[in-house]
Amino acid sequence: MTKEEKLAKLEEVFDLDAGALKEDMELDNVDAWDSMTKLSLIVLFDDEFGKKLSGDQLNSFGKVSDILALMP
Amino acid sequence: MPDFRFENISVSGISTAVPSLRVDVDSFKAHFGDEAVEKFKSATGIHSFHKALDGQTASDLGFAAAEHLLTEKKINRGEIGILVFVTQSPDYGRPNTAGVLQKRLSLSQDCACFEVNLGCSGFIYGLEMACAMLNASSSGKALLVLGETATKVTHPNDRSTAMLYGDSGAAALLEKRPGATEIICDLKSDGDRFDAIIVPAGGFRHPGMTRDSYIGKDGNERTLYDVCMDGTAVFTFTISDIPPAIKDFLAATQTTVEDYDCFSMHQANLFILKQLVKRVKIPQEKMPITIDRYGNTGAMSVPLTLCDRYGSDAEAGAVKVLACGFGIGLSWGTASFTIDRKDILPITCTDSRYNDGIINKIFPDGDTDKEEQ
Repeated sequence: MTKEEKLAKLEEVFDLDAGALKEDMELDNVDAWDSMTKLSLIVLFDDEFGKKLSGDQLNSFGKVSDILALMP
Repeated sequence: MPDFRFENISVSGISTAVPSLRVDVDSFKAHFGDEAVEKFKSATGIHSFHKALDGQTASDLGFAAAEHLLTEKKINRGEIGILVFVTQSPDYGRPNTAGVLQKRLSLSQDCACFEVNLGCSGFIYGLEMACAMLNASSSGKALLVLGETATKVTHPNDRSTAMLYGDSGAAALLEKRPGATEIICDLKSDGDRFDAIIVPAGGFRHPGMTRDSYIGKDGNERTLYDVCMDGTAVFTFTISDIPPAIKDFLAATQTTVEDYDCFSMHQANLFILKQLVKRVKIPQEKMPITIDRYGNTGAMSVPLTLCDRYGSDAEAGAVKVLACGFGIGLSWGTASFTIDRKDILPITCTDSRYNDGIINKIFPDGDTDKEEQ
């Protein structure tokens, strides 16, 4: 998956317009980064990549790029 | 899979009672703000729930459901040989509350009475225990009673739990009946995740802990005597362990979703229920939703959802149910059984509180102001 494809996936999960997310964005500055989005991210990783995201991993995400790094 | 099968036992009645007090989730807007409450509502699907009064206990709610069931079904109470009470909110430090229910329900001394501490999986575990004991007993009837007042172990400033739980009680009557459709239960547990949902203090592991509140890692305020949930761990559990558990159950029983009329699922939250629909491919119309009006009612989710769906049906007719309860423990179970619609009673409301008189009796300066019938 290209970086652009990954960002597009994340924008879907975050329920944001295309192009709204940039990889160097701090997640704490993204309004949509709430508990619901975190659950949707768990579902995305489980459905699409067969990976289990732990609470520690979710809490360790600082920037959008941290999530991209875990996406195959 | 460790499934349990019971022939010649039928679920011949189910009832549910909730406290009369209904709390609108919107009423929390003044406290948590409009945005937080709207987000909570859309994520969990909860719009209102029922809340027990001070001094109105889980056994009061279970009692109301059981009394309604035994009265409606015109059961000879002397014939009940087993009473299982499932709760995590007992009336006393000890003894267990089953004896109090035995007394209040006027059951005979020839009745095995005991309490079991289980939450969301409690109906499935309770069904299995009541059936197993009935199977081995000379008695013909067993009564499963459940009750929970989880609103009493939530901190008012904890937005992850303060609006989540609803209080309720339920009862199910099991009778030996030759030729009854098989009841099948599958029970699972993972003690490795015992702390995913926990009230840390109040038992004997951590005596004398402060009752002062603290701010948890999730930014919510609570005390060690309040329920603390690792939301991410619990959610991951529900999407990674529950769909396979239901699919394994279908495979082991050689049934498919088409063979069931109703999937009565633990009402954890709407997002989780939607995941179950998607992952197990359950037709949406076969999975009734009650969390919108009753909140997360723990073990009572399964009977409450059946009572809500079928309780007011005028017509008789068998309903083949697949039920699944999952949560605190972590503990989960799946069961299938058949029940006639006419044996599923409508949900009732109650304000009743048992006046045990105990404080006045043994404590010289007992404050009995809070006690009323």
